[in-house]
Amino acid sequence: MAHIPDGILSAPVLIGGAIIAAGGVGLGLKRLDDRAIPRAGILAAAFFAGSLIAVPVGPSSVHLLLSGLMGILLGFGTFPAMAVALLLQALLFGFGGLTTLGVNIVNIALPGVVLGLVLGPTIRSTASAGLRLGLAATVGALSVLGTGGLVALSLALSSPDYAPVASVLLATYVPLAIGEAFITAVAVSFLARVSPDALRPVLT
Amino acid sequence: MIRAILLALALAVGLASPAAAHKLKVFAAVEGDAIAGYAFFIGGGRAMGTSWTAKDADGKVLATGKTDDEGRFKLVPGEPVSSDITVTVNTHEGHIASATIVADRFGSLAKGVEPAAPAAATAAVAQVQSPGAATQATTPPAAVAGLSDSQVAVLVEAAVQRQVEPLLERIEEMDDRLRFTDILSGIFLIIGLVGIGLWVRARRN
Repeated sequence: MAHIPDGILSAPVLIGGAIIAAGGVGLGLKRLDDRAIPRAGILAAAFFAGSLIAVPVGPSSVHLLLSGLMGILLGFGTFPAMAVALLLQALLFGFGGLTTLGVNIVNIALPGVVLGLVLGPTIRSTASAGLRLGLAATVGALSVLGTGGLVALSLALSSPDYAPVASVLLATYVPLAIGEAFITAVAVSFLARVSPDALRPVLT
Repeated sequence: MIRAILLALALAVGLASPAAAHKLKVFAAVEGDAIAGYAFFIGGGRAMGTSWTAKDADGKVLATGKTDDEGRFKLVPGEPVSSDITVTVNTHEGHIASATIVADRFGSLAKGVEPAAPAAATAAVAQVQSPGAATQATTPPAAVAGLSDSQVAVLVEAAVQRQVEPLLERIEEMDDRLRFTDILSGIFLIIGLVGIGLWVRARRN
């Protein structure tokens, strides 16, 4: 699904993805402070292990991405965390590939980072638990759909043969988006109640 | 927060350990005069109703179709097989995998399953396509010696295939099995990286 294997994408897509991913990882590493490093590690480990559990849906099978949650909690730190987890998945289990690592990092991390930057401030500052729940769910769902869109785009740009079919994409990504929305909302609400500081990627 | 996430993580690892993963694989084998197999997600069931394409080594499309309810596909090459055949399965949402059957695996298929007279005809056809295939088709004595020998060869071929297939399937599955030790080493590697990161920052300050 989100892990595109080797030998499918064309060189320009691979190189473009690698450049964006390298920029994101560099930016993220600069932003990671002492508070955020252990959190990035925990979320990277959660993604690494969590996305090994695949659930069959329609013609495919899906797994959690957690990118929305990571975007809210880590901001740009999502890139390095995702990069480590994806690299390990490629090396240990052959999910995705080494040449496609950059593209996969961008596809999975970028929607979460963008949504975390856009909706994160409101999620942190709002006093209404309902609004926070709703916004967190939105981040979770939209980041999954964003990943689906980016995966489709990378495949379509590489070769028209591999262009995904919209109906199949919807059938697999919409159930995942709903699950992801639920998990993101629960995790964010829980953290907001128990330790609101954890929702801030950078102390200001 | 950390305790809660660690708990969730431990749960995730616990659930993941038996056999659950996310990678599309194609299993293909020669069955009599056909190539049959199925597409499956490691630990996550079969790829049902997805499209597949069979191509020879030159990229010529031999057959296409959709997998059935069990993710199975089957194609009959028809003419003697002279090159490797690659079956590619595409779920149309980013999962693409392929399996290649090397020409040698075809055995009786490549050497002409038909009795002596038609075998000569097919050899002639093969000669037009590629000189390499023609030598392969004419040299084995089984193809020219007579009907009974080639029939025996086909029967042996089928019997061996039947016995070997479960093994091949098992190898294919083991190839990418998730191992508990791998999951743990990945997680501890991440913890190690966190430690290195903190150490580097502490040294800098």
